[in-house]
Amino acid sequence: MKEIVVIIGGGIAGLEAASKLLDLGYSPIIVEKSGRLGGHVARWNRLFPDMTPAADIVSELTERTKGANIFLNTEISFINRLRDSYNIKLSNGISINTSYILFTTGFSLFEAEKKEEYGYGVYDQVITNGDLEQWFNTGEDHRISGKEIGHIGFVHCVGSRDEKARNSQCSKVCCITAIKQAIELKEKFPDAEIWCFYMDLRLFGKKFEDFYTKAQRDYGIHFIRGRVSEVSENIEGKVIVKAEDTLAGKPIKITLDLLVLMSGMVCSQDSTKTAGMLSLPVDSDGFLKSSDNVMHITSSPKNGIFYAGACTGPKTVPETLAEARSAVLEIHSHISRK
Amino acid sequence: MREIYLSGYNNFVLPFVIGMLFCLTWCIIGAARIILQLPGKDRKRFFLSLVNPKTMSKNIRDWFCDCLFHVKLWKRNKLLGYMHSSIAFGWFMLIVIGHIEVFLYTPERVHQIWYPIFFRYFVAVTDTTMKGSFFFFLMDFFLLIVLSGIVLAIIKRAHSRLFGMRRTTQPSLPDLIGLYSLWSIFPLRLLAEGFTADISGGSFLTKSLNMVLHSFLSDYMNMLPTWWAYSIALGIFMCVLPFSRYMHIPAEILLIPLRNAGISISSARRGMASIQVYSCPSCGVCIDACPMGAVKANTKDSTVYLNRQLKRNNKARIDEISEKCLLCGKCTAVCPVGVEGDKIRIAQRAAKKYNLTPDYSNIGTDAVNFQYNKKVIQKNNNVSSSDNKKVLYFAGCMTALTPVIMKSMVSLLEKAGAEYDVMDRDGGICCGRPMMMAGRIGPARQMIEKNTRIIKESGAGILLLSCPICYRIFKENYKLEGIEILHHTQYIERMINEGRLDIDRSDSRLVYHDPCELGRGCGVYQSPRNVVSRAGVLVEASKNGKESICCGGSIGSISLGFDKRRPLTENALASLTADSPDIIVTACPLCRSTFSRYADRPVNDIAEIVDKATSADKR
Repeated sequence: MKEIVVIIGGGIAGLEAASKLLDLGYSPIIVEKSGRLGGHVARWNRLFPDMTPAADIVSELTERTKGANIFLNTEISFINRLRDSYNIKLSNGISINTSYILFTTGFSLFEAEKKEEYGYGVYDQVITNGDLEQWFNTGEDHRISGKEIGHIGFVHCVGSRDEKARNSQCSKVCCITAIKQAIELKEKFPDAEIWCFYMDLRLFGKKFEDFYTKAQRDYGIHFIRGRVSEVSENIEGKVIVKAEDTLAGKPIKITLDLLVLMSGMVCSQDSTKTAGMLSLPVDSDGFLKSSDNVMHITSSPKNGIFYAGACTGPKTVPETLAEARSAVLEIHSHISRK
Repeated sequence: MREIYLSGYNNFVLPFVIGMLFCLTWCIIGAARIILQLPGKDRKRFFLSLVNPKTMSKNIRDWFCDCLFHVKLWKRNKLLGYMHSSIAFGWFMLIVIGHIEVFLYTPERVHQIWYPIFFRYFVAVTDTTMKGSFFFFLMDFFLLIVLSGIVLAIIKRAHSRLFGMRRTTQPSLPDLIGLYSLWSIFPLRLLAEGFTADISGGSFLTKSLNMVLHSFLSDYMNMLPTWWAYSIALGIFMCVLPFSRYMHIPAEILLIPLRNAGISISSARRGMASIQVYSCPSCGVCIDACPMGAVKANTKDSTVYLNRQLKRNNKARIDEISEKCLLCGKCTAVCPVGVEGDKIRIAQRAAKKYNLTPDYSNIGTDAVNFQYNKKVIQKNNNVSSSDNKKVLYFAGCMTALTPVIMKSMVSLLEKAGAEYDVMDRDGGICCGRPMMMAGRIGPARQMIEKNTRIIKESGAGILLLSCPICYRIFKENYKLEGIEILHHTQYIERMINEGRLDIDRSDSRLVYHDPCELGRGCGVYQSPRNVVSRAGVLVEASKNGKESICCGGSIGSISLGFDKRRPLTENALASLTADSPDIIVTACPLCRSTFSRYADRPVNDIAEIVDKATSADKR
């Protein structure tokens, strides 16, 4: 009999894991709460560092998981722990008995309206990184379309590295995302002046540094080290951003047509809820806790339950995919040992 | 009544006399020192108030209500009120009636201070003095009242929860000595008078005790030791009084006329601050009231412990407690004797020397550009308004960090057709309150001066504020004659009452949180509730109004770290959500952002709620 593996979450981690499980001859079941596959990546337009279209990645992954059982618009109602397996009841009435569950529940974007001083949801000129990608995809957003965009700002670390936003961790990918988005906006609005307000630039990945150099040298994007203190609106419908330039050592005030907030990654509430059904521990950063953060990042403390992707912390797309494969291998060796 | 001893003296009165003289001298010198420590202007004001019949009658009323009847405690907790007033008023009556007896029966002994106290030892009852039985009854009655209070006090020490107090003060050593001597005074008095009741006369209590005692102790020699014991207990109490919490008894007598004369704290350890510290009865009501008490480790940072450290002059702890406090003012609001915990702390902060003093004198007041704002006014001039006063809206820095409040407020002003001007749309000068709270009075004054100049030049009739922190300092420290200072809750209420806003009431349940600076700070409780109940169903928090719990985000605290504030916020939220409201409504930008960080339901400012419920342009 083919071993069943239940994958919670149909983002890229879930899809990649399903495709590898299929390759190994297992029978994966993907449970996805929304109506489509691909998670956050499906909502993104292009990916750094090579500007790969996100849609290509999602469609390739979807193609490879054709043989898997996929339940869309389905949530986990409850999970019962049996002697050495789990009984999962889905919201569509189906119940599954399995010995292996893989959490690929991913992350949520920090709700930018919680940083009240940036005026997201208050001012029409303020959008998030997610909104911007959506606009790249659809070209529809009343906050951007049909306006004359001459001055654009990016605020890094919105809801990351910020105790007051209840997330003191770095979200890892926003620095490079901001640079990527700034370049893309500059391509759309060649005459626009763009400012990025950052605390540190954490450009750790392959070719990230090149991106940064290119942004300054070829696109003339300004990088200002300092946090934005407040955002207000003037009578012409523009936003005034006050910040401190900590390198120049003086306060600055810039009037902008568009302000993009780089919302960070936080653990999704659904992840914690589902993890709670199995009494899985949550780490101090709010994400699910692996049994070891060095050696066993894909293992949970509970037998038969595994993690992959951003449910254990912020990760880039390649890292997520690699982790999905590694989790599959972990499951495979577990099954083989039986 | 006839006297038994010609001398009218026995050695046993000595402990009492020594204690009494010591205590009296101490208190008189102390009172004189405190009055001398007052600034000259305040001292003059104090003496003038003593000859003013209005303040004097208020003094007398307060002496009775506060010192003897403990009316404030009664209002808070009946059992606690009875306990304190029975001991205070009962003892007072025993002293008064004791003196009346001496005046009536042995007027020549009036100058002997021990005579009224030990009257029963020195006299014998005669046939002609049966009318004294009325006094006998009164004396026994009040003794019984005091004894009942003592019994309650003993129970309270063991089970404070029965008295509605979760936590009580840990007594210091002098407090304990005072406490035990106070507890023993009245049973010993009963015993002593019980022994002599067949000679000196007595009533239901002492007479009956006398019968019981004589049934097995017929020897009169037993009499003297009990009188000695009674006198020693009194003597110990009097001697320890200046060093214990019982100092509040004489101190409060001076505090009341000083307060009624309108004198405020002007120095950290002298004058008014000092008398307030000594007036603290260590009752510990402030311990449960303190919002920091949500974390047990903070118990010793409440006002009662600050007062104790001030008496001990423990500098390190005084600074620590003073800087940690959120300055929510709840301890001041609940204090039965009127110790102003927040103001004492600000005075301590002000006394601290810093190496760096910020100087704001170079900030120009003409930098605030009203050019742009005038255009708005002209645009609105054609709208007829029932209120022809020009409104100057000062949003303040906290509102700048929660722009949704400013946006809603401006939208409401537009909808109501008000002629308005935004003072700090393009940045403004701080109101000065944060500096004031930090005890940096000088820099605060600089800002006050600058803002005053700007406001006076603006030609506004109303100064409108969104932030209660600003509102308080504008009310308390600015002199803006002819300009009405309103918080936006009050102005919104006025706009609604004048029919300038068309508001649709929804069914959502709204709980209103009283911000510290608006409620306890400025006494604005009703206006926001009136407004909220026009926009939805008003529900109340389990602690509201004067007892409202600080959100924990207060800028009052200089040293309380971000992570230390979370339990305080969660505790305040638990009180707010007791009646399961849909939305938490507040009227302070700082409370709004603090609560929304941890709340499980939306947190809105009152302006947002009203703006959402108001249809655009009624006209």
